[in-house]
Amino acid sequence: MARIGVFICHCGHNIASAVDVEAVLAYAKTLPGVVFAGHNIYSCSQEGLSSIKSSIKEHQLDRVVVAACTPRTHEPLFRKACEQAGINKYLFEFVNIREHVSWIHAKEPVAATEKAKKLVAMGVAKAALLQPQTEGEAAVTPVAVVLGGGLAGLTAASSLAGQGIETHLIEKSERLGGLLRDVSVIGPEGELAKPLLDDMISRLTRSKHGHIHLKSTVKGISGFVGNFELTFVEGCDEKKIKAGAIIVATGANEFTPVGDYGFGSVPAVVTQLELERRLAKGDVAGDVVFIQCVGCRQPGREYCSRICCNVSLKNALRLLTLSPGSAVTIIHRDIMSSGTAAERVYKEASETGVRFVRYGLERPPKVSAEGDGAVVEVFDETLDETIELDAGLVVLATPLVSPPDSEETGKLLKVPRDKHGFFLEAHVKLRPNEFATDGVFVCGSARWPVSARECIYQGLAAAAKASIPIREGKVVSEAITAYADVDKCAACGNCVLTCPYDAIEIIQVKGKLAAKVNEAVCKGCGSCVAACPNDAMQQKGFTTQQLGAMIDALVKGALEGAQ
Amino acid sequence: MTEFNPTILAFCCNWCSYAGADLAGVSRLQMPPNVHVVRVMCSASVKPEYIFKSLVQGIDGVLVLGCHIGDCHYLTGNHRTAKRVPIAQKLLDDVGVDSRRVKLDWVSAAEGEKFQQVITEFVDEIKGLGPNPMRGVRL
Amino acid sequence: MQRVVVIGGGIAGIQASLDLADAGFEVHLVEKSPSIGGHMAQLDKTFPTNDCSMCILSPKMINCADHERIKLHTYSEVESVTGEFPKFKVKIKEKARYIDLERCTGCEDCVAKCPVKVPSEFEAGLAVRKAVYLPFPQAVPRKVTIDADHCRMIKEKKCGVCKKVCKAGAVDYEQKDTTIELNASAVVVATGFDLMDASSVLQYGLGHCKDVVTSLQLERILCASGPSSGHLARPSDGSEPKRLAFVQCVGSRDAKWHEYCSSVCCMYATKESILAREHVPDIESTIFYMDMRATGKGFQEFVSRAKSAYGVRYIRARPSSVQPGEGGKGVLVSYETRGPAGEPVTEEFDLLVLCPALVPSRGTAELAKLLNIKLDSDSFVRTSGLLRPIDSPRKGVLACGFASGPMDIPDSVSQASAVAARVAELLAQGSG
Repeated sequence: MARIGVFICHCGHNIASAVDVEAVLAYAKTLPGVVFAGHNIYSCSQEGLSSIKSSIKEHQLDRVVVAACTPRTHEPLFRKACEQAGINKYLFEFVNIREHVSWIHAKEPVAATEKAKKLVAMGVAKAALLQPQTEGEAAVTPVAVVLGGGLAGLTAASSLAGQGIETHLIEKSERLGGLLRDVSVIGPEGELAKPLLDDMISRLTRSKHGHIHLKSTVKGISGFVGNFELTFVEGCDEKKIKAGAIIVATGANEFTPVGDYGFGSVPAVVTQLELERRLAKGDVAGDVVFIQCVGCRQPGREYCSRICCNVSLKNALRLLTLSPGSAVTIIHRDIMSSGTAAERVYKEASETGVRFVRYGLERPPKVSAEGDGAVVEVFDETLDETIELDAGLVVLATPLVSPPDSEETGKLLKVPRDKHGFFLEAHVKLRPNEFATDGVFVCGSARWPVSARECIYQGLAAAAKASIPIREGKVVSEAITAYADVDKCAACGNCVLTCPYDAIEIIQVKGKLAAKVNEAVCKGCGSCVAACPNDAMQQKGFTTQQLGAMIDALVKGALEGAQ
Repeated sequence: MTEFNPTILAFCCNWCSYAGADLAGVSRLQMPPNVHVVRVMCSASVKPEYIFKSLVQGIDGVLVLGCHIGDCHYLTGNHRTAKRVPIAQKLLDDVGVDSRRVKLDWVSAAEGEKFQQVITEFVDEIKGLGPNPMRGVRL
Repeated sequence: MQRVVVIGGGIAGIQASLDLADAGFEVHLVEKSPSIGGHMAQLDKTFPTNDCSMCILSPKMINCADHERIKLHTYSEVESVTGEFPKFKVKIKEKARYIDLERCTGCEDCVAKCPVKVPSEFEAGLAVRKAVYLPFPQAVPRKVTIDADHCRMIKEKKCGVCKKVCKAGAVDYEQKDTTIELNASAVVVATGFDLMDASSVLQYGLGHCKDVVTSLQLERILCASGPSSGHLARPSDGSEPKRLAFVQCVGSRDAKWHEYCSSVCCMYATKESILAREHVPDIESTIFYMDMRATGKGFQEFVSRAKSAYGVRYIRARPSSVQPGEGGKGVLVSYETRGPAGEPVTEEFDLLVLCPALVPSRGTAELAKLLNIKLDSDSFVRTSGLLRPIDSPRKGVLACGFASGPMDIPDSVSQASAVAARVAELLAQGSG
């Protein structure tokens, strides 16, 4: 008989505010196999973990159930604690009573507590049937692939190559540099874009570890951390690369505001990138009006694109330097010049004579053609009146948007995107440049609109993360692979047909034909388990007995609850 | 008479729908407390037997939630799920169990709101169907 | 194995240490206070998901302590850094904590008996700690420290209670500072920020109005494990506030104090407004702001949700003065409504929260001096321009997180991870 310990976490008030921890604790003590149940304010604190470890020893526990938050973030921590206390880490079961209970049933404490009890009972039922496991190890291909040759991708690739790691940079267009190619001066400190890009590209081309593939499109990606295989078409040739890690740096596009504020019909209305191109040639004169938040911070595209205010501030100052007498106005809703340098530029712009006019979403400016130029009519919230501005050029500051092909990239890599199409990182606070999928990383505006400076440090961050499995030289795979019970197997071959990885074959085992799983190839999806008509295929940690026991426990809990 | 309070089981794949459920939690999206999530690695590992066993023993409804088609972490797992669950539903209908007690849907890691919506709607649907007649029956 | 010294044990220093260690370096993490964790450990929740701050930080703190390639030096300071890349010599002073770390079990029996009460730094002065103390329950390492400035035994040779009650024999009043010297290939500055003393911005009443607190204090008040166990109460009479207000840019974006924008206040004020509403369902929150800077992922949506679902009122105005309310309870906030017909208004609130400028942490200037690196005009660590956003001009000395300028947690984490790539690059080039 198993000796199960159950630990219920208060998570401060996060769980305890909706779930009656004492009641769940008392209930847990009545469950079959449970010899100890305890609770912690924060189970994940050093104190909480050491109390779990000492309880394991004191009560000779051989199975541990923690009811707390989500296994997706905290399972490794508790598994490690189990290991430190001398029990196999696969004898641990996690029950989620925070994300799946207290946070989503905040106003229903009675029902939340009942649900938590049932989930704990299910966890305990499964835990009783857990078996110790050993993990597989696989070698890592010491190669990194970076998708996207804009500033973020270039930074990541040149850092990796500079660290001595074989690095392939795959860029769909015929040139490197991305959006920055159209920018001459980078804000807020006024560095020149071209020398910066040239420096970075030359470092990559000079390095014997850097390999650049232009006009290249990825067609397929298979494999897992340490052992990816990419198929891509470079020009007309199909090529394959094996890689240990992949960085997504596919960037973003400037939103084209067709139909907004006369864009497309009034020639004097241009986007920010068009202004950049004209400024590079010195080809701008006369009065200029910038309109901020065009196509964003409004229903349908609610986000702030982070960099547009700073770009307008930078360009407003450049315009005043170019033609000191001209009138430059920025029509905005809030100036987003966070930090030190950007705020300094804002102040400088105000002092240099850039006019700032604040408008509200409910009364947007109107632009109409007038001669070669345009007239902008806007309700100035500060003056509380409508004003008219003549402009030789009206610059629309539009957001960066996710490029159309990022959907395809997301699908190829099986990584999620948010509702705006930007890639969704593993954790918004603490894992900004990683995906939940091991071995795949993200940086730059593919994740969220960012400045050049942010592109660079995010590129470095992604490079650091990608270098870790490559330096380690091996990846340890979780023991969740499938196996066949030879005695039950009738060698029907359903599992062989089902397996997406060709990991199963029918061979002679113990004098009969039976399925055999190649553990090095099996990724632990469990598809074969569902396909097996004889209950012979099993998945470690998810056996049919374990899941059956969870169902039984829920049924039992429901019947108890109904009485 | 007390209101019917169904007991529902949801199989969620680790990569998409379980993460979507977590996101719903992090976003504090409120939903009825009837659904109990079991984490599996892939929706394709959900044996039809689990569904039958649950319903036979009186669970009022079973949800199978996976990644959207094309997003499966295991390449094609959810294609199999998409075929397997309807077969299970047909078998249920054949033996006189209302197949509306079983539902298959896709929830991505970014769809906390969709998770909330699927849960809320399914609980309503099961409430409409009433208690599983097998509840409490000893076989 | 090549060695890196990381200075500062907040989230930036923690993340830099973890990534450097995972990339194969031996890391020495030097933190001046008794525990790693930094300001993030003090936060109740994090924007824009309202994820519990301690819950996501604590596993990283523990990983630091458990990592075979990380050595923690808490309650320690860097004394000198000599030599050049890649051969620095770093002297670290491990301050006497009068506790044998090998013996201390963190049982806190000594804390219970210590007679001396001192305002708790971790609780932002809202609660007291003892002269022997664990800074917070999740501290890493979970070992107590005796604060020599307040310990009666150390100051006056009167007391000795902690030693008497310590069953582990961990108390040692004779302990001395020790200095260790290390060779290191690189040094990372991750010294973070402090709140400016908002009481010096006299018009906002901190210090003379009881019901004016700082945003960090509110963070502690809202926290379940905070001084009031998460019960929102105002200081003057302990009553539950119904009208709450925030003033943004206190001492920042202000030529008289700090001209820069602290980058995170718009969002944390929004977060704290939402949390306050979750604690007190009928509370009304008002945020006085200049520009609502919601530029990160999900931030604009967060502000919209604060308005629509939590009724938070955003008023674009900079209050001119704050006076105590009747009987010293609550506050009267004067500001001008906008537009040319703008007129002065005085509104009464039960509790006022100031969002002060976030400034380089105390000691940054001295550290920069001993590292021979420069500060920028806002006193943050100066880095080498756009291409090298985390390198200081002194080769092999890097800076990440708030030490080099205002930024939020994900940006600090990105920069911290970036350190591992830069150190590896520099050393790969250094070795040919």
